[in-house]
Amino acid sequence: MVLEATMICIDNSEWMRNGDYAPSRFQAQADAVNLICGAKTQSNPENTVGVLTMAGKGVRVLVTPTSDLGKILACMHGLQIGGEMNLAAGIQVAQLALKHRQNKKQQQRIIVFAGSAVKHEKKTLEMIGRKLKKNSVALDIIDFGEEDEAKSEKLEALLAAVNNNDTSHIVHVPAGPSALSDVLISTPIFTGDGEGGSGFAAAAAAAAAGGVSGFDFGVDPNLDPELALALRVSMEEERARQEAAAKKAAEDSSKQEKGGEEQSSSQDATMTERASAVTSEAENKSIDFMDDDNALLQQALAMSMDEPASGHEMRDADMSEAVVDDPELALALQLSVQEGEKDSASDKDMSKLLADQSFVSSILASLPGVDPNDPSVRDLLASMQNQSEPEQKKNEENKPPNEEK
Amino acid sequence: MACLHDHSCEDHDCSSDWSLYKHIDLPKVSALNEAVPGSVKSVFKAWEERLNSSGGHLESNEGDPELLIFIPFTSDVKIKSISIVGGVDGTSPSKMRAFINREGIDFSDAQGMQAIQEWDLVENFQGVLEYQTRYSKFQNVASITLHFPDSFGGDTTKIEYIGFKGEATQLKRDVVATIVYELRPNPSDHKTKAEGGGLSHVE
Repeated sequence: MVLEATMICIDNSEWMRNGDYAPSRFQAQADAVNLICGAKTQSNPENTVGVLTMAGKGVRVLVTPTSDLGKILACMHGLQIGGEMNLAAGIQVAQLALKHRQNKKQQQRIIVFAGSAVKHEKKTLEMIGRKLKKNSVALDIIDFGEEDEAKSEKLEALLAAVNNNDTSHIVHVPAGPSALSDVLISTPIFTGDGEGGSGFAAAAAAAAAGGVSGFDFGVDPNLDPELALALRVSMEEERARQEAAAKKAAEDSSKQEKGGEEQSSSQDATMTERASAVTSEAENKSIDFMDDDNALLQQALAMSMDEPASGHEMRDADMSEAVVDDPELALALQLSVQEGEKDSASDKDMSKLLADQSFVSSILASLPGVDPNDPSVRDLLASMQNQSEPEQKKNEENKPPNEEK
Repeated sequence: MACLHDHSCEDHDCSSDWSLYKHIDLPKVSALNEAVPGSVKSVFKAWEERLNSSGGHLESNEGDPELLIFIPFTSDVKIKSISIVGGVDGTSPSKMRAFINREGIDFSDAQGMQAIQEWDLVENFQGVLEYQTRYSKFQNVASITLHFPDSFGGDTTKIEYIGFKGEATQLKRDVVATIVYELRPNPSDHKTKAEGGGLSHVE
């Protein structure tokens, strides 16, 4: 709960058009900025955050330190990409902006997103670092985007010059499958040197999967408590209804009890996590289920609680075994890989595919140890077909609450 | 206890003169460019302890002898004189500039602003020298900021002890201590004893 004024320096240079961080470096950066602003304002209501851009026509302060989250999010829209990043000037302007903060009791912190190459000399950066240290300003550096030896060396030197008692940090984020924000959540930049921030970080991780600004349902409970309450209540009701429906479906097929439970628990999870990733997950799992009983059930439940990022990798591992010449299987593979980005619209595709008996039986035939003529398998298929219709109806109803988010 | 002053100490007790340290708001003392965060608090102690450096001392960062110390008091004080004990080998501060009742001064402010008083210091390892203030200007001091721009040639500036001589008044500057913020007024919080009529209620 440190009282802090933070200035975030954004890199909006030409190098940010690159797509090696999904969907683009600039977008990943914007998401990370939103998350950081939310984290800072939640950890202490009197914290203020400001934003400036380092490239474009020149260093420009978009928002002076304020605790109004809406203002910060609004100014992130309509940002133009272009020009070259000027790291030294950016940090110096940030320092000046912090110097003129309204509440002098706040600690000063600068967070820099260093995406493009650093053209300044190491000496210049070290001098800047020492000046920051002298004025007790902490600095967090996020090294992503362009990767080269000199850049890392310079940024490490800058950190060494600024660092006073471990209040400053540097994070190197290489390009990869996981999002920039997800990587940052576990770093001390978010957890705030381990004091009470970790609770928020966990909440942010869960909320980030479902919301935009880090709040439940995308609505600030402080700004509009009634709306937040109404959304929460409707979510609970929907969940209760789904559980009742799932129980009913489970009763229909006695042997498929466990399968039904799995699907309902996965459907519960779809309410709070990215819908498509988990449903396809659970549906694939229910096919594999025929092979191992409890182990897979545990796995699927654990995975539906996990972040979609890790879900991706595990799914890939499973799928790699089932990769056959079967064209329908390849199509399913493609669909499930795309699931992670699409919304619940693809739910319907998946359920339609699975409702297609021939498709399913061809998959089952290709799996070892599964006999399509086995009565238990037949029952499962029947229950899934019954499920797919109420599921479609539920998906319709899921959509309005989902879109409200 | 030997006072090392050039007067006989039987008449008065030196330590009581230098007792303004008791009125310093220690938790709120801060310094800029200190090597060890929080070490600034160790330089405010009793007169007898001024040469005792077991509690630590204040040192500036390597290669940069500038120091800026912000000292708030728990009540308004009048400061008559200041005593500084510096470090050996040229690490004593050579100049001192004071600013009164201003919060949040940083180095660029300190270098630009006109100080309320400036002194040229000498090396004072025994702590026997005191620097007089223009007393009329130091009458209602709620906080004092001391800026030491340079040392006697050393790489860093070391300060072992800072002492203040003067009087403490019991007055405090206006500080609004408890503020209650209301989003919407709650009439029950604002009921006044209606005298006679019922017209003095808040809608």
